[in-house]
Amino acid sequence: MRTLVVAVLVALLAPATASAHATLRATSPHFGTEVSRAPTTIRLGFDQHVRLLPDSIRVLDSRGVNLARPAHNAGRSIVAPLRHLPRGPYTVRWHAISADSHVVSGVWTFGVGVPAPAVTSAYGAGGPTRTEHLVRWLWFLGLAATIGVLGLRLIVLRGLTVPRELEHRIAITAGVGALVSLHAGIAAFSLRSEDALQLPFARFLYADLSPMAATRFGRAFVVMTLGFALVLALIYLAWLLDRVVYLVPALALSTVLVAGLSLSGHDAADAGSSWKTEAADWVHIAAASLWIGGLAALVGLVWFAAPSLRRTAFARFSRLATVLVAVVIAAGTYLSIVRLPQLSDLWSTGYGHVLLVKLGLVVLALAWGAFHHFAIGPLIARADDGLLSRIGGSLAAESLVGVAVLLAAAVLVDSRPPTQPIRTSDRQSQAQPAAVTLPP
Amino acid sequence: MQPRAEMIHWAFGAMILFVGLCLLCEALVGQEVWRMRRWRAYLWPTLAFSLGVLLWPVMAFFTNSAIHMYAHGSWAEVLMLAGGAELALVRGRLTSPWWRLTWPLAFVTAGTAFLVHEQNPWFFARSAFLHHLLGWTFVLAAVFPLALVWRPRSSVLRGGFAVMVVAVSVMLLCDRDVAPIFGHLSALAGTPHR
Repeated sequence: MRTLVVAVLVALLAPATASAHATLRATSPHFGTEVSRAPTTIRLGFDQHVRLLPDSIRVLDSRGVNLARPAHNAGRSIVAPLRHLPRGPYTVRWHAISADSHVVSGVWTFGVGVPAPAVTSAYGAGGPTRTEHLVRWLWFLGLAATIGVLGLRLIVLRGLTVPRELEHRIAITAGVGALVSLHAGIAAFSLRSEDALQLPFARFLYADLSPMAATRFGRAFVVMTLGFALVLALIYLAWLLDRVVYLVPALALSTVLVAGLSLSGHDAADAGSSWKTEAADWVHIAAASLWIGGLAALVGLVWFAAPSLRRTAFARFSRLATVLVAVVIAAGTYLSIVRLPQLSDLWSTGYGHVLLVKLGLVVLALAWGAFHHFAIGPLIARADDGLLSRIGGSLAAESLVGVAVLLAAAVLVDSRPPTQPIRTSDRQSQAQPAAVTLPP
Repeated sequence: MQPRAEMIHWAFGAMILFVGLCLLCEALVGQEVWRMRRWRAYLWPTLAFSLGVLLWPVMAFFTNSAIHMYAHGSWAEVLMLAGGAELALVRGRLTSPWWRLTWPLAFVTAGTAFLVHEQNPWFFARSAFLHHLLGWTFVLAAVFPLALVWRPRSSVLRGGFAVMVVAVSVMLLCDRDVAPIFGHLSALAGTPHR
């Protein structure tokens, strides 16, 4: 025990003896900008003096060639002269020692005569990993739990006398869903930043994430974090004050916040994307979250916590699910047509393979849902307790398929769709010389 | 356009000072007198919970280092948890006194986050000194809310808890980004301002 106490004290004291860490205050060129003339130097301004490391500043072109010469100090700035930068996108990776030994790092991008790539697409970034897929899945599960449970309470159980114990469980489950969404968002942002920075975890902790916060993904992270903190507070207030009315803004806000996933994904950034694909993606995810989350909540909460509400809740949810499934299919079909220019992309690209798996799971879930709707629905009014228990098991299995659909969706959102063919008008415009004047 | 970090510290310092003064009043006059007006029972727990919610924007907007982001996030969560639990206890939604353990948990978590995320030594600048002092104050002061779980009516413990919250707020209000501390200011810290 004494050893443990000493270890904890040493761990707490250790940071006090570490060195000062610097904060990046200004850069030239500014991150994320398109410059018309190739810069001759790169300058990083800090809030304190820093020391240089070998390769303190690297300016990498799209092939990974470093075009920066050795950097030097200039007051509280470090400056690296550049070789001639041809037209194209560039990634700046920097490291410096602040105070005595602490290394601070960062990355940003700019473009010479072309738009700067997103910092998440900086040279060297490896793209989404399995961990990122897992985190994205947890994000979807959190969203589905929040939207599904709140939707079940406000739409399916509307006007019914809900037992106090069930109200309590609804608030807890929705709150946990919001908390999972909040944490998954932080984890997703951290992973995306870590990938862009290409740093080991210990150095990542002191890395500057501001350029990442300025990307679409970063802005979505900020909005979703603030939004889900508010959703959590509203759910808490509804539970504390016994006022279901507070759940209405919580559901509305959660549903709107789903747009964050759409606006930060491929549907907003890739060629062929438009406000229509963003809207379709938002509708697709929101309807799927309400469907799958609502189904899981029907089984996990109503079926076992409030047996008296089973029949009414089943019939009402069945009608709601029919509408939701129609919306999911319509939006999904539109998005598939936009994202897959050729049918052969389904079996010839990685994106198509994941989509096929997802479609297979959706078909299974739909068949199961149709069985419940058409075969079980008419029987439920006169079903005895034994049959109702078996129906509960079947509904639980269907909701597990839904959870698997969300996993496939998480991988799909992180995957890059096949390249769009260039239209004739685009080809003509590409043949024109670039209207950018660059130094020789 | 972000405000200076010290301004955020001052804003939260002012709100925490109000919470501390409420706690001090409650400790001085006794819980029965303090709660003669029903709304007063809800006052400081509501403020503590709201402070937790308000810390989320700080977490999301101050991304100049990952560890700052995590520290602000942990303060937001523990304040929401402890403030929310206290509010639910006052309201009667929670009845177990063990929920009051959320306060020592919040203090220890907040203190540890202060100590871990401050990478400068004590005498680097005033803000660094205050971060270390805040961290150790939180960690050591956790003994007051911890003891209150077993002796909730103790005036001494209630007073100690209140004074610690007031002390924390004063430290936050003293914070300045680049300013000397007892005549010391690291040459690496930059030029003092204001």
